[in-house]
Amino acid sequence: MPDHTHDHQPAPAPGQPHDHAHDHAHAHAHAHDDAVAQARGHIAAPTRSLRLGVAGPVGTGKSSLIALVCRELSGELALGVITNDIYTDEDARFLRSAGVLDPERIRAVETGACPHTAIRDDVTANLLAVEDLEEDFAPLDVVLVESGGDNLTATFSPALVDAQIFVLDVAGGGDVARKGGPGIGRADLLVVNKTDLAPYVGVDVPQMVADATTARDGRPVLALSRHDAASVEALKDWVRVMLAAHRAGAHVPQDPGPMAPHFHADEDHPAGGILHSHA
Amino acid sequence: MTAVHPPTSVLFALLADARLPTGGHTQSAGLEPALLAGLAVADVPGYIGGRLATVTRTEAAVAVVARHVVLGDPDERVAGLRAVWQAWAARTPAPALRETSQRLGRGYLRLAHRLWGAHPAVVALDAAVVAERTRPSAERPAGPVGRSDRGQPPRPLVLGVVGACVGLDARQVAQLVGYDDVQTIASATLKLAPVDPADATGWVVAAAPTVEAMAARVAHLTDPDDIPASGAPLLEEWAQQHVRRTERLFSA
Repeated sequence: MPDHTHDHQPAPAPGQPHDHAHDHAHAHAHAHDDAVAQARGHIAAPTRSLRLGVAGPVGTGKSSLIALVCRELSGELALGVITNDIYTDEDARFLRSAGVLDPERIRAVETGACPHTAIRDDVTANLLAVEDLEEDFAPLDVVLVESGGDNLTATFSPALVDAQIFVLDVAGGGDVARKGGPGIGRADLLVVNKTDLAPYVGVDVPQMVADATTARDGRPVLALSRHDAASVEALKDWVRVMLAAHRAGAHVPQDPGPMAPHFHADEDHPAGGILHSHA
Repeated sequence: MTAVHPPTSVLFALLADARLPTGGHTQSAGLEPALLAGLAVADVPGYIGGRLATVTRTEAAVAVVARHVVLGDPDERVAGLRAVWQAWAARTPAPALRETSQRLGRGYLRLAHRLWGAHPAVVALDAAVVAERTRPSAERPAGPVGRSDRGQPPRPLVLGVVGACVGLDARQVAQLVGYDDVQTIASATLKLAPVDPADATGWVVAAAPTVEAMAARVAHLTDPDDIPASGAPLLEEWAQQHVRRTERLFSA
């Protein structure tokens, strides 16, 4: 994708001479005139943001991390947020009420009770929401996509996001990072969140980070607390570097890997739930 | 790619499969708001029949006529699709139902661009989308403006076009719309109420003759004016209520 800046001219009227970015996955678009191309799933949208996924188990601080990024970076980057909730639009409302971003730029996607389907098997609803944001607030630099809180195996399809952050927290236990899985092992960034709570839950943060680094073959791990300014700066820098790599075409979206079989608890089910996989 | 194949069962199955990536897993075909409004689980088969007689019959007819026009005179395809689109809008007054149908239509259109993007039927639909988006606002029917008014084609319009791309006949297109609605309701029930999956599948089997009969009644249609206007005000009311809910499993 080409670099872009905030002094973009408005998109030319259909049929007027202009050059715009054609997604090479849609090479057939050249066969039609520009007006039709404009209609084609926004392939000629004015800008294509860095689409950044945020995944991780329930309660580890995904929404808070996104609020932090918005608070810290909305002054220098044009941001948008898509939330995925299993049963409510609670996360979207939390972020809107946090006052860190124009509420219009925060939209909720409903996942039909299957949050991993919406970020992995059938990303249609999320892609449409991302494209709408990119169109309505063009040019956006980064669209943050928050997954519904799930288990350790849920990761984003590279068809939906360009890069992804997987979030753990110290309160979930110091041993979680050692358990591995696709998100812990191969997300673009692993965040160990709420490090300020470590003394209260008996977790050795340097050890947890060392375990995570081992599980990730040296991929980046960030020990984060919103009360620790240095860690917040490190997060901001990571986003900036990823955005620069994305714009330069130097970053290729990576797939952390498929889900392992997992268990859906259902108290009405005779076996207490259903084991299934998304192979 | 542009040739119309003989009627195909395999691609019919593909389009009827819930694993088709079009965002269908977010839908309950109105069942969630119906249950929340007091519909008994035992009455779900009746709910299925009610939809097949009303909104689903209209949707099936829209798909049938859309398929017909994109397989007809190349010079009439775009105007024909726009006429079908407007006939759908005239028969779908509830903003919630319109927006849902248009969101699902976008999902199918995204897939159609990737798989059948050079097909003349898809090219004609793209041109119809451009024309609808640039239509002077004075010509547009009065109604809520905003995200529901993006100039996105409704699902049955896109399904008719996709049906033409893969070589479904008119009856198959209507059956597809009917089957998808019934199966969406049955599978959504499993997430909303304690039901044995085999029982829910039995509802689909029991509804099959009704789906066939509904399809047979609309398969011959070729004129947008002949699309039945069989609305269901209670479904519309429930759909409108669901839009404002903050706790729901399904989008609609």
